[in-house]
Amino acid sequence: MDLGLLAPEISLAATAVAVILLDLFVERKGALAIVSVIGLMVSAAFTIAMFGDPAQVSFNGTLAVDSFALFFKLLFLGIAALVILASVDYVSKFERFQGEYHALILLSALGMLLMATATELITIYVSLELASISLYILAGFLKDPKSTESSIKYLLLGATASAVLLYGMALVFGSTGTTQLGEITQQVQALGAQGVADNPALVLGIILLIAGFGFKIAAVPFQMWVPDVYEGAPTPIVAYLSVGSKAAGFAVILRVFSSAFGLPDWLSLDWGMVFAVLAAIGMTVGNVSALPQTNIKRMFGYSSIAQAGYLMVGLAAMGVASAGETIGQSTILFFLLSYSLANLGAFIAIIAITNKIDSDLIEDFSGLFKRSPLLTLGLTLCLISLIGMPPAAGFMAKFYIFGGAAQNGLLWLVIIAVLNSVVSAFYYLRVVKVMWLGEPASVEKVPSSGALRVALTITCLGVLFVGILPGFAMKAAELAAKMFGI
Amino acid sequence: MAFDIAFWLLAIVSVVAALAVVTLRNIFRAALSLVLCFITVAGLYVTLSADFLAAVQILVYVGAISILLILGIMLTRDVQLGSPTNKLRFPAFLAAIVFFGTVAWAVLNTTWGISPQGPLEPTTATLAGKLFGENGYILTVEIAAVLLLAAILGAIVLVREK
Amino acid sequence: MLADFGFVGLFIIVAIAFSALLIILPVVFRYLKIVPYNPNPIKNATFECGMETIGRTWVQFNFRYYFYALIFLALDVLAVFLYPWAVELRQLGTSGFLGALVFIIVIVVGYLYAWQKKVLEWK
Repeated sequence: MDLGLLAPEISLAATAVAVILLDLFVERKGALAIVSVIGLMVSAAFTIAMFGDPAQVSFNGTLAVDSFALFFKLLFLGIAALVILASVDYVSKFERFQGEYHALILLSALGMLLMATATELITIYVSLELASISLYILAGFLKDPKSTESSIKYLLLGATASAVLLYGMALVFGSTGTTQLGEITQQVQALGAQGVADNPALVLGIILLIAGFGFKIAAVPFQMWVPDVYEGAPTPIVAYLSVGSKAAGFAVILRVFSSAFGLPDWLSLDWGMVFAVLAAIGMTVGNVSALPQTNIKRMFGYSSIAQAGYLMVGLAAMGVASAGETIGQSTILFFLLSYSLANLGAFIAIIAITNKIDSDLIEDFSGLFKRSPLLTLGLTLCLISLIGMPPAAGFMAKFYIFGGAAQNGLLWLVIIAVLNSVVSAFYYLRVVKVMWLGEPASVEKVPSSGALRVALTITCLGVLFVGILPGFAMKAAELAAKMFGI
Repeated sequence: MAFDIAFWLLAIVSVVAALAVVTLRNIFRAALSLVLCFITVAGLYVTLSADFLAAVQILVYVGAISILLILGIMLTRDVQLGSPTNKLRFPAFLAAIVFFGTVAWAVLNTTWGISPQGPLEPTTATLAGKLFGENGYILTVEIAAVLLLAAILGAIVLVREK
Repeated sequence: MLADFGFVGLFIIVAIAFSALLIILPVVFRYLKIVPYNPNPIKNATFECGMETIGRTWVQFNFRYYFYALIFLALDVLAVFLYPWAVELRQLGTSGFLGALVFIIVIVVGYLYAWQKKVLEWK
């Protein structure tokens, strides 16, 4: 046992406990946000200190600390910190439960960190539940009918997805006799092509795993919860859901499918094609449904379904690519980084705007440029990144991920994806047009707190930096993808 | 022989109880059939030589979860209206049948690897080693503790007035 | 081990048979004309501690019960994890003890929270 390897998780858990306890005695609740952010930064410092160390397996094979895990840990810690910064204004309106709000965000982040590092099915499941249960609660935090409805829908569908996932894990365990990902791949390879064909329970198990994880990343046809949950849940939590929970889902899928079912090639080809089909349907459904939306949160719900579709193009490429090639993995990591920055940035701007105008309708964003030029500029940049236009990060992300798929012979999928990007430009640019060209409803300025401005600046600079100088981020992603699978 | 009879009896009762949970209109009765289902599942664990798990099933599910469930029903307003009819009942039933058929086909057509070792006799000590021992899942146990903490926190947040 | 559970099964079978017998016997006796059968409204009324029922019997519980049930559930799960540890206390040694200690501390934080937030008080 080596507790040092768990330093980021332990410090994060300690911060969460400290926030819960401090909340009982501290009167000024604003301090809790500061404690949370400091805790996240300490955890991130531990993570950064571990970069470059050789990958290690610890706790009897339940977790692997490799650069793949570290990459995701940093991503989750950054996302959680930005969400807490973005919630400062939002939370100050709560009469009660500010401490719990921060504690639950930290606990959820802890679950995501563990998801990225776990290499054993039971540990993956428990971590996933920790991340999800905190999010179910956070979704219902406002306690108005809409928020409660979104929480209940998320809980019920999430519980069903968990059951499906457990069923899949049970079948995989039954066919291979182990829950360790590394041992599963040995068993699967020992079975051989004929062995797997004679073993439909294993195949069914893999399909159920795809379904269970597909819920987390909002892949079609497990996306039903997305628009309703996004519409009802508190806006900062929606931001957290749309990037954190999705990235965590992809972290687990990448880990499970490339280390347990990545070999032999014919097997990865099979699930690669499943992901290719899911990707094509997901992008199309998400983008077409987003077109007529009038509520910006719902629109972002459908847009996140579409983005999950683009990300799954990478999963398809990963499955189709021959063993040892990591182009699918590294482009997914890069895409997740740029998507997280852009989507978080967009939501931070939306939080600031909706705090003032008290409406989620796109038409009420009319003429915002005249009321708050900087917020409008930030939101526009993030929307451009989500479409995938230069100079924003989204362009490079799409360029890499589609390029990787095209190299591996998935040209048909890339064509669908590019067509979809064109469709997506319609609804993203509609928001931009309303903000820049519409008539403002009033001339009142839109105020924003320092924390929000800091968060928005970080994300916007990130979007620009990754977009203009993608080499650095791509290097990190490639490194993370290479170290993978130990 | 007695073993087979016990298994089939438990299996049939548990399936019938589970069907009753979804078909009964009165949700209080549905909850009670769910408890019956939990008990028979505990019995099934016994037939699989998982004695500790059977005890846990009785203690946690039959003891605590069912109380929580029935309390939940007793907290609900207009509970005597029962579970409302749903026009998706039939499609849902069909989907369930298809899923059942697929799983049954897959499980029956698989040649399962069967361990040559007999079942452990008292399982508690071995489980203790697996949960808290040097070569066990101690990390997973601690994550479960944090999960429980999050659940306590969440339940209090959601149930207390704003 | 299975034989021991056989006794549990036997006990359950006897319990079910006994309960069923208590329901079936009066019906059989009435059919055999061993007991008389002249119902009237007072005889058919629900008997509850000698009092007549007023209003609906279905009352909505106070939601505070829910907290107790939930805290009890957490305690239950805690006990389930600690029981095997207690059985193997000596063999598991210090590391097992520390593991259990961390487990308990994390749950105790939850209790402390519930206590300080006055969830356990009945007002």
